Amino acid sequence: MRILLKLLKKYWYFAVLAAGFMVAEVYVDLYQPRMMATIVDDGILGLHNGGVSDLQLVISTGIKMLLVVLAGGVCGMLSGVFSNVTGQNYGNDIRKACFRKIMHFSFEQTDDFSTGSLITRITSDVTQVQQLVMQMIRGFVRCLMFFVGGTTALLSLDVSFGVVVACAFPLILIDVIFVVWRTNPLFTVLQESLDKLNSIIQENVNGIRVVKAFIQEKTEARRFDNANRHLVETQFNVQMMMSFLRPVMNIVLNIGIVSIIYIGSIQVQGGKMAPGAVMAAITYISQILNGMMMLAMIFQTLSRGLASAKRLEAVITTDPGLEKLENGYTQPQQKGSVSFRSVSFVYPESGKRVLRRINLDIAPGETVGIIGATGCGKTSLVSLIPRFYDAASGKILVDGVDVRAYDLAELRQKVTVCLQKSELFSTTIRDNIAIGDPKASEEEICAAARAAQADDFIRQQPEGYDTPVAEGGMSLSGGQRQRIAISRALLKKGEILIFDDSTSALDLRTEAALYAALREQYADVTKIIIAQRVASVKNADRIVVLDNGTIAACGSHEQLLRTSAVYRGIYDSQLKDSEETEKGGQA
Amino acid sequence: MSTVKATSSVAQQGFRPGHRQSMGAPTEKPKEGRKTLRRLLSYFSPEIKYVIFLALVVIVTVLASVITPSLQSRAIDDLVSGAFGQIPHILGIMLALYLIHGGATLLQGFLSARLSQRVIYRLRGELFSKVISLPIPYLDSHSHGDIMSRMTNDAENVSNVISSSLSSLFSGVLTLIGTVAVMLSYSVPLTLLTCVTVVLSVVMTRVMSRLMRRYYLRRQELLGSVNGIVEEKVTAIKTVAAYNLQESSIEEFTQASDELTRIGIIADVIGNAMGPLMNMLNNLSFVIVAAFGAWFALRGMISVGVISAFIIYSKQFSRPINELAQLYGQIETAVAGAERIFSILDTASEDKSGARELPITEGVIEFKHVDFSYVPGKQIIYDFNLKIEAGKKIALVGSTGSGKTTVVNLLMRFYDIDAGEITVDGENIKDISCDVLRDSVGIVLQDSVLFTDTVRANLKYADPTITDKKMIEAAESSNCDKVVAALPEGYDTVLTGAGANLSQGQRQLLTIGRAFLSYPKILILDEATSSVDTRTEQHIQNAMVELMKDRTSLIIAHRLSTIQDADMIVVMDHGHIIETGTHAELLAQKGNYYELYMTQFAGNAT
Repeated sequence: MRILLKLLKKYWYFAVLAAGFMVAEVYVDLYQPRMMATIVDDGILGLHNGGVSDLQLVISTGIKMLLVVLAGGVCGMLSGVFSNVTGQNYGNDIRKACFRKIMHFSFEQTDDFSTGSLITRITSDVTQVQQLVMQMIRGFVRCLMFFVGGTTALLSLDVSFGVVVACAFPLILIDVIFVVWRTNPLFTVLQESLDKLNSIIQENVNGIRVVKAFIQEKTEARRFDNANRHLVETQFNVQMMMSFLRPVMNIVLNIGIVSIIYIGSIQVQGGKMAPGAVMAAITYISQILNGMMMLAMIFQTLSRGLASAKRLEAVITTDPGLEKLENGYTQPQQKGSVSFRSVSFVYPESGKRVLRRINLDIAPGETVGIIGATGCGKTSLVSLIPRFYDAASGKILVDGVDVRAYDLAELRQKVTVCLQKSELFSTTIRDNIAIGDPKASEEEICAAARAAQADDFIRQQPEGYDTPVAEGGMSLSGGQRQRIAISRALLKKGEILIFDDSTSALDLRTEAALYAALREQYADVTKIIIAQRVASVKNADRIVVLDNGTIAACGSHEQLLRTSAVYRGIYDSQLKDSEETEKGGQA
Repeated sequence: MSTVKATSSVAQQGFRPGHRQSMGAPTEKPKEGRKTLRRLLSYFSPEIKYVIFLALVVIVTVLASVITPSLQSRAIDDLVSGAFGQIPHILGIMLALYLIHGGATLLQGFLSARLSQRVIYRLRGELFSKVISLPIPYLDSHSHGDIMSRMTNDAENVSNVISSSLSSLFSGVLTLIGTVAVMLSYSVPLTLLTCVTVVLSVVMTRVMSRLMRRYYLRRQELLGSVNGIVEEKVTAIKTVAAYNLQESSIEEFTQASDELTRIGIIADVIGNAMGPLMNMLNNLSFVIVAAFGAWFALRGMISVGVISAFIIYSKQFSRPINELAQLYGQIETAVAGAERIFSILDTASEDKSGARELPITEGVIEFKHVDFSYVPGKQIIYDFNLKIEAGKKIALVGSTGSGKTTVVNLLMRFYDIDAGEITVDGENIKDISCDVLRDSVGIVLQDSVLFTDTVRANLKYADPTITDKKMIEAAESSNCDKVVAALPEGYDTVLTGAGANLSQGQRQLLTIGRAFLSYPKILILDEATSSVDTRTEQHIQNAMVELMKDRTSLIIAHRLSTIQDADMIVVMDHGHIIETGTHAELLAQKGNYYELYMTQFAGNAT
């Protein structure tokens, strides 16, 4: 909890103000009954006036009382303002801190938490903690004042009343402890089932086409129903446990009232006490009761808030997955070289070895194609260059410097990856491209789009570059999305450009035009191209054939056709009777 | 009696927040709040048993809490008058009543928990069923984060309020009515005076409610957009990392989050102000009663004893009013949340109707003069005519954006066509029940969607009762058995994050396996093997020959090797069909396809 508490420190003065005004409000609350009593006893009943009402006194005290109440009300509102300012700003700080942290999570950390859970944490859990803080500031002060004030006053009346408090207090304490002990673990379960529910919703909304195509609406509804039922059951159990707080306290304190009247009657009978004192004692014990009630409410919020705080703390204290290597950094000498030195990679989650002792040097400006069977480690290999993951052993050098020694932002500025899956944001096409370089001019954006063969279709959109991209880019075809993503990558002007199978949805002609543009306009950029189609990599300076996590062959297209059986196999599977057709075509 | 009416209108005010809106502010949709509330309350009607039981318990609680103060004052009176013998007897009754009260409160807690959870369970379930039955165009054009926020934040909000305020509302109203009845029995003019406060509080609540509603709605909206940002950025974490977008994303989030905080503070400050304001009004009422009471007493109109009793009851009167005012803010939030939930529930579901319930037997697909546009005025498909015979393998090729995937969207009835008709087995697909149509079609989409569940459950998605033997067969023919073999627990491995740690190609293989296992009459592969290497693809294709015997397949691909052996290749361009024929025929034509084909050998790459 240390970090969450540290964040709260910033608002201590607001919290103190909120508490201060609360003290004032409670003071008025405690003082007002006395004025009321004056109005009743002296004004109306005329106890000191021989039973004759005193209208003057009623009005003057009444006005005074209204003013006091007004002041109390203002204090109450101000206390509300300050506690809200404290709580909500604090919540906001946590929310932002969590988001910042999440943005710097490594991919495995994101997977570990799951998107659904991260969303729940950032919304629902933050709200719980925020609620906790506000309740603590206001409720705690209030409850404490009522409790302490009431008890002191009660004891000052007659010490024998202390017996009542002394008996009642442990009973209440046991009640609270029991409920908190039983509900505490439930709150963690509660937030977890909320996570689960969230994840199911997210998957269904994102995968709606599959759900519908397989007519699985009913199954999904059932899956949701299970999660929903679990959540509702947990919530019900929590509420059940919580239900015990109030009635038990009520009973204990009402018995307290009965006992006080009983003790009072004995004392009065014995002439040791005036009847008025008994009435006052009842007032005080109700105040204590009030304080206790609030305490119960606070405990409700407290246990839920703490469970949430733990979940938020887990996000905030997660260490960045990728630590920077100390002392390894030297000013890079080249521009655009990549070297793999005996690199092995193990998939963090499954522990499966994906790459085995890879050695590969890529010179600045070189174009390297990577080809190989599904799951052979192509994406893993290139993911190591911008340090999306860390190698299990060996090292990767970019411009002669270990990738772990770079500042991540600097490294990723050098290395541009055009991802397999084109992730577009729900903003305009222009903004989606400008992600590559927020400072780019209109001209540069269009130029990148032209090179990516995207300019034409973008201009055909209803509002051209200003056309909004619908949720997840659904309004665009797969190939169009890929080309926007490629425009974005080209705009970034990195030294090393990695295409991770990012032209798979492009037709051959468009792809050919794109590569031609790359060749002409981005000649000095080092290009690493993962592809399935031999045609895509055929003209690369070198082609790396990955097989089962090792480099099976490396060389130019012609060399590989001669020397590599694996490459030959891939080539044949794609071109079949192509040789003859090619010859036929040329004839 | 008129007083009772006036009072109960306060109670109504407590749960009819929208009432005020009819008075002005046209932008706030007059009466909407009231309608929303009535609708929310209608969710309680199936739980009528619980509601009645709860009401009974509340009545017991209220009775106990109304009677005990009078017993208490009798005990005090006896104490003052020295009748000590009576006291233990009265105390005994009090004790019994307190125990009854405590027991009833406990029961009340249980019941309202049960009731609220049942209601929210249904509401949430209904909402989810609605969301997954929404038409694809709706989901394609709305922020997923916002939809999620409605299902979670708004639903939870409604749930919390229902559970926390239900019995307080009940007992508040009951106490109010009971107290007013007693007060009336003491003095009618003083009761009327007390009601001055009621009028004032009604006016105030109305003014405040208008303010509150606006901010509460705005807050829920902002919560939705904060949710949306988190969802979008976390889902696209790879792009965020690859483009160093962390800082700009944080900035975007900060803006939304700050605005949420600002509005949240205003909303809550207004909500919290209700308590002190009501307190002030109550005290005002007390002073008025005391002053007029004293004045009446001086003129001998009422006895002093009546005033004193009256004052006790007017205090009791203020407590439920305070509570109701507190509840008011909460109810406002709930109504704002409910409004957002209902707006989804009111969106028309996808039209899945169709008279034909018989399964598709042949698989003959025909497009006749089909026109289509996603956005009015921007046509995507023009006069599309195509007949696909049963049992044939048809390929769609063409440049990106030429409308290939759109054809699939139309065939699946994801989107409705503008003109023309599409028939399957000679029947217009609009006349075929969507379930029947989709059941006969197996589809593998560009985006390989998997679910966070075991591999087995993912493969058997179409039908969980399929035997493992068949599943393994399908896995072998789709080559995903190799993917599965590499997973730590084979078919029982749970795909965390919906398969986020599998490669795109591996995910594609799994989705192909899933489609194979649904044994469709028509199989659609939309760029289904784009990330799969060609040798694996070859293997899948060989397996498909056997699998798709007598079945129709429609394949969209850019890799021409994927489609070379199709019975017919359809070349599309800008929503038109420009060439059709077999691979050999099209090559011989030396048209568009030929050119496309030749690029495979030309020195295109880099």
